[in-house]
Amino acid sequence: MNTLTLGIVVIIYMFILAWLGYIGYKQTKNASDYLLGGRKVNPIIMALSYGATFISASAIVGFGGVAATFGMGIQWLCLLNMFMGVVIAFIIFGRNTRKLGEKYNARTFPQLLGLHYNSRAIQIFIAAIIFIGMPLYAAVVMKGGAVFIEQMFHIDLHLALLIFTLIVAAYVITGGIKGVLYTDALQAVIMFACMLFLLFWFYRVMDMGFIEANRKLTEIAPLVPERFKEVGHQGWTAMPVTGSPQWYTLVTSLILGVGIGCLAQPQLVVRFMMVESTKQLNRGVLIGCVFLIVTVGAIYHVGALSNLFFLKTEGVVASEAIKDMDKIIPLFIDRAMPEWFSAVFMLCILSASMSTLSAQFHTMGASFGADMFPKLGHRKNANSTIGVRIGVLCSILVSYIICYTLSAGVIARGTALFMGICAATFLPAYFCSLFWKKATKEGALASLWTGALASLFAMLFLHKAEAGAVGLCNLLFGRDVLIDVYPWFAIDPILFALPLSTLAMVLVSLITYKKQDI
Amino acid sequence: MFGISDPGIWLAYLLALVCLFYSIWFGVTHWNKDDEDSTNPQQPEK
Repeated sequence: MNTLTLGIVVIIYMFILAWLGYIGYKQTKNASDYLLGGRKVNPIIMALSYGATFISASAIVGFGGVAATFGMGIQWLCLLNMFMGVVIAFIIFGRNTRKLGEKYNARTFPQLLGLHYNSRAIQIFIAAIIFIGMPLYAAVVMKGGAVFIEQMFHIDLHLALLIFTLIVAAYVITGGIKGVLYTDALQAVIMFACMLFLLFWFYRVMDMGFIEANRKLTEIAPLVPERFKEVGHQGWTAMPVTGSPQWYTLVTSLILGVGIGCLAQPQLVVRFMMVESTKQLNRGVLIGCVFLIVTVGAIYHVGALSNLFFLKTEGVVASEAIKDMDKIIPLFIDRAMPEWFSAVFMLCILSASMSTLSAQFHTMGASFGADMFPKLGHRKNANSTIGVRIGVLCSILVSYIICYTLSAGVIARGTALFMGICAATFLPAYFCSLFWKKATKEGALASLWTGALASLFAMLFLHKAEAGAVGLCNLLFGRDVLIDVYPWFAIDPILFALPLSTLAMVLVSLITYKKQDI
Repeated sequence: MFGISDPGIWLAYLLALVCLFYSIWFGVTHWNKDDEDSTNPQQPEK
């Protein structure tokens, strides 16, 4: 497919997005519409938007590359995405979150907890964490999309990044959450269709069935590169050696970090407050799970099986065909799929990036404009959304700058990192606001501070992957990590920080409970 | 199972399928089930 045709496909896609953004803009009359869609969002659109926001380009390109390199163990993440991210999130958390949001008329995640605990400090703290921490995740998502475009179309990475960031910015700033939701729904449909085709075409190209392909993949286990065998890789249809560095990365960072972290993602939580009743959430369970197993399940499965394709065509496994694991999926699409599908798949990656990015920008903007500076632009009009729009703009600029500083291979880890921070910092306070009447303001504040500081400390001084890269520990103490005894430096920060923040929540709440009522 | 010998892997596939079927069952049986009458009062901004 030539560049002109590709360009036309992309331009049509962009026009449709612009049109959906315009519809969102026309339907946005006040701050409630801009932030929550007036709490009357269609459940199918909400569930599709939830799924599309959940699954970013990093989930496809980054984790797909992880599957290609380390195998099918990553399917545990698919399971946790479905079970924690949809079943538990919608049925257990979503129901109470919606009711609580309605009770307090909360419009953002920080506002929900701030009003519940009757604490402006809690609201500002959560908003600040979102506004400071989320640009890193947004930058990782940007990087995922940009890497794909660079790989597939050999165009200037910076230009492509700039154009699609500007487009997302345009429909988020003008259309608000309605613009985000409508575009998300379209993008979810594109992603769903692409992943189904990817799965179908892979088996067609390889001319083998599900079980046969799995068996072949098992048989090539001896071809695992030595550098991966050393860290515990046992083959693409086997879990890494228990307790090995790869096992810790897979289980603690990728599976637990993302699997549990998704429960406390502000941009996902806020979607529960957008629907009118519990009935809408019940419908979302079905739509969300079907969407996730097809999108996430397919890319992880095909990612691992891509080793068979590379072995057949290149004579080497995927991680030998291309060293940067973030580039494996783009290369695989380029080589294995029909030419026309490259363009469609580019839309899929753009969709995945844009849907996640738009939600992130909206959430960061809401944190800035509605939580941190609620009076910004409200002097003349109480329903003004100017503060949120300024927040969106700032968050886009910061994310864009961070994106340029990220190194190769960072996509999957960056996603896990942010989700881990969210879980450690927000989850205990959020969970207790929904289910524990004895939870107090002091307990929530202690938990938030403990989670955030413990995560930061573990990342800077304990977890080698981040501490080594940042270098602060080395600067202060002359070594990469404080405890260089295996496996401590391989354990993800979430495993230190989440129990500590939970403990802080429980202990401080129990101590302070009798003194006050929420 | 599924052509995969390591239970650490095929269990993930199996549980994902169980989760999928549960969600389908839940979604279908609760499609019109609500906790309460629809309440969506337009409250003043806080």
